[in-house]
Amino acid sequence: MCQRSGYVSHKKIVDWIDVRIGVREVVDKELTGYLLPRNINSWYSMGSILLFAFALQVVTGMLLLIYYVPDADKAFKSVSTIMNDVPYGWLIRMLHAVGSNMMVLALLFHMLSVLFMGSYKKPRELNWVTGFILFTLVQAISLTGYLLPWSQLSFWATTVATNSASVMPVVGPYLVEFLRGSPLVGPPTLGRFFALHVAVIPAVIAALIGAHLFLLKRTGVSTPPFGVKDTDNQWQGDSYSYEDHPGGIPFFPNFACEDMRSIAIYMAIFLAVVFFDPYLFFPKDAFLPANPFATPAHIKPEWYFLANYQTLKLFPNELIGLSLQAVAMTFLALLPFVDRGRERHPLRRRLFLICSVGGVLLWIGLSIWGHFS
Amino acid sequence: MLQQLLVITDNEAIIDIIMCAGGFMETDRNRRTFLGVCLGSLGIIAAAAVSWPLFRYLAPRSASETSGKVVIPDTDVREGDAKFFEYAGSSAVLIRKKNGELAAFSAVCTHLGCIVQWEKAKQDFLCPCHGGRYSADGVVMAGPPPRPLKKLPFTVAGGNITIG
Repeated sequence: MCQRSGYVSHKKIVDWIDVRIGVREVVDKELTGYLLPRNINSWYSMGSILLFAFALQVVTGMLLLIYYVPDADKAFKSVSTIMNDVPYGWLIRMLHAVGSNMMVLALLFHMLSVLFMGSYKKPRELNWVTGFILFTLVQAISLTGYLLPWSQLSFWATTVATNSASVMPVVGPYLVEFLRGSPLVGPPTLGRFFALHVAVIPAVIAALIGAHLFLLKRTGVSTPPFGVKDTDNQWQGDSYSYEDHPGGIPFFPNFACEDMRSIAIYMAIFLAVVFFDPYLFFPKDAFLPANPFATPAHIKPEWYFLANYQTLKLFPNELIGLSLQAVAMTFLALLPFVDRGRERHPLRRRLFLICSVGGVLLWIGLSIWGHFS
Repeated sequence: MLQQLLVITDNEAIIDIIMCAGGFMETDRNRRTFLGVCLGSLGIIAAAAVSWPLFRYLAPRSASETSGKVVIPDTDVREGDAKFFEYAGSSAVLIRKKNGELAAFSAVCTHLGCIVQWEKAKQDFLCPCHGGRYSADGVVMAGPPPRPLKKLPFTVAGGNITIG
């Protein structure tokens, strides 16, 4: 009886909204009637994981803003206060700092799954390009966030990272000073990195996420190349057509549950790091306040920049090392325009498989080498 | 629905099937209710696990965490003067009246929370926000304040005045 009355009041509320904005039609079209391929797999949840991870970064970042002071004289102390004095400050900060690393990891897996399942191929070139720009923006937001605690690690990692731009012909030295806001990393650098980290880059990321999802909705979800006979790209390229999946599984509740499960697994791994090995991504220099007159030995960037760092060390000329990385990044960004084959199954794309597995192994190898060098 | 079917048919087999289906639906509904309650409970536990640290993170530091004794050298407050200082996360004032007597108060006006000012010439407190006036004993003399200024405990020893 009670349940029945609850159902009736719930129905009344939905009716009230429905006659105004047609919410049931939206639910039918975008949730229960939004059909996905029957052979869809868990890798398709990586996007949802990333959305969740980004939202968590935004929320924890806003909370940190309450106590963080973006002033070179006070930044380190304010972070220490958050960690030691503010109740649960350690949790919020660790969720943010470890979360950024976990987000990069999830992003790499998202990109790898798209690569191996050939989902970047036409007509989804724009999805890939927006995703790739998001990838570079996530790297940028991580780099700018790295400076904010104003630790020895922050200070010197930013010194080395910004100094890389000096190898650019003609404009290099000025570019470095422009990035830093002063000849050396100092209070002006903190001001501009803070603005980039909390306002500019998040806004651009949010806009690009919107564009990425819009493109996904307009093109339709790609069919995984596994478990089906014909793995050729069916798109003809003559006119716009939405890739629908008649007889597929509904997004809600079926795949939404799958998404929730994937997010739960992600959170379990993430929280395991936060609670059991919170300083996994923190070298000891992260616990010392920045000292512009004392360079620590063996300063290294974050794990996802180690391959870039090692590549720069391998080449006697920094410009060659940097140019090579720029070429590799451009190639990856424009991959859908280079790889135009119709086949999408990774095992039937020998050249792709050799290059991609080789590339991943090279990246891992350079990262390990960079870590131990 | 079931009643309508019972009216239109007397075929026992069909009625049996419908009754079975009805029983199944009832079991299914119970199962769904049970799972719904479990899921809802888990959701409440998870929400509490998130909300409590969030509340503690945002909650102002309690008086016990922020308060401490404030020591002011006896020579800092001359006769007829006042000294304002921070106490327990708020503003406080120590005065030495013209007869040499000391008094310590919260400097927060009891009307709308502005900070009172010491008027040396008149030897009283004035709240500039809405013209509240207190005597050197903290008693309301004029204006809207509903209560006297809160008195603070202090001790004098070894040339120091210790408030709190």
